[in-house]
Amino acid sequence: MDIQLKRGLLDVCVLAAIKDEASYGYKIIKDLNPYVALSESTLYTILKRLEAANMLTVRTAEHGGRLRKYYRITPEGSKRIEEFKEEWNEILAIYRFVTKEGSDYDKA
Amino acid sequence: MTKLDFIMTLHKKLSDLPQEEVEERLRFYTEMIEDRMEEGIPEEEAVAAVGSVDEIAAQIQAEVSAVKTQKEPNKKQRKGGQIALLILGSPLWVPLLIAAFAVGLSLYVSLWSVIISFWAAFGSMVACGVAGLVASIGMALGGDPMSSLALAGASAVCLGLAIFLFFGCKALTDATVRLTAKLFQRRKKEEAK
Repeated sequence: MDIQLKRGLLDVCVLAAIKDEASYGYKIIKDLNPYVALSESTLYTILKRLEAANMLTVRTAEHGGRLRKYYRITPEGSKRIEEFKEEWNEILAIYRFVTKEGSDYDKA
Repeated sequence: MTKLDFIMTLHKKLSDLPQEEVEERLRFYTEMIEDRMEEGIPEEEAVAAVGSVDEIAAQIQAEVSAVKTQKEPNKKQRKGGQIALLILGSPLWVPLLIAAFAVGLSLYVSLWSVIISFWAAFGSMVACGVAGLVASIGMALGGDPMSSLALAGASAVCLGLAIFLFFGCKALTDATVRLTAKLFQRRKKEEAK
């Protein structure tokens, strides 16, 4: 996939992974694995960026005798997902136009 | 590589970076390794899955130094600020500078007037001495040897004092001329820069 396109998509992917319930680092990677390969370092950068943009909050909780960080989506994060859906409706329209078979002006 | 090896190697590689940032990232990676191990993935595999130590270290170094350079103050901005302050403060230091220069100038002028008055004293001493001598000769010729002698003596004293004054004035004048030359040399040097 084009790298620029991928970069924009990954942020929303991570948000989608936590949109229904709070999740933690490794689980996010597992959930997204069927769709996109995400490395630990990439995920760290994305989580930092989303936190700085107030799209998620971080909470440390105890799990199995050690500490684990849980990420929860915020209203701003949910809004970003909605914006993404609208953007892609437009992109779908363009896609249909680009892949349309035969155009009217060909018929002379 | 074991989990401990992983952490310690990264610690060593990143020892000259701000430790707070490094610690935060290391905690993140450790958590990921431990989560995989919890799933049943063997330790070595879990560590390998997180990524190569060298790559991660290079990445952290790049990211952390990017944060650092943003925080450093702009040196150019600081110099511009200093110049602005100088201009803003000019109503203060310009008159002070002018006053200091004026005081210096008046001191210099007074020095010369003192020297001139000494030379004047020298001149009058010479004049008195010579005049007295001439008068004493006149008195001698006129038949008043006593007065003539007395006047001659006084004239000789005047001339003697004049000689002392001469050397004193010359010394003072030379010293002042040398001082003036030094001041002008310094100014010429500054202009030449």
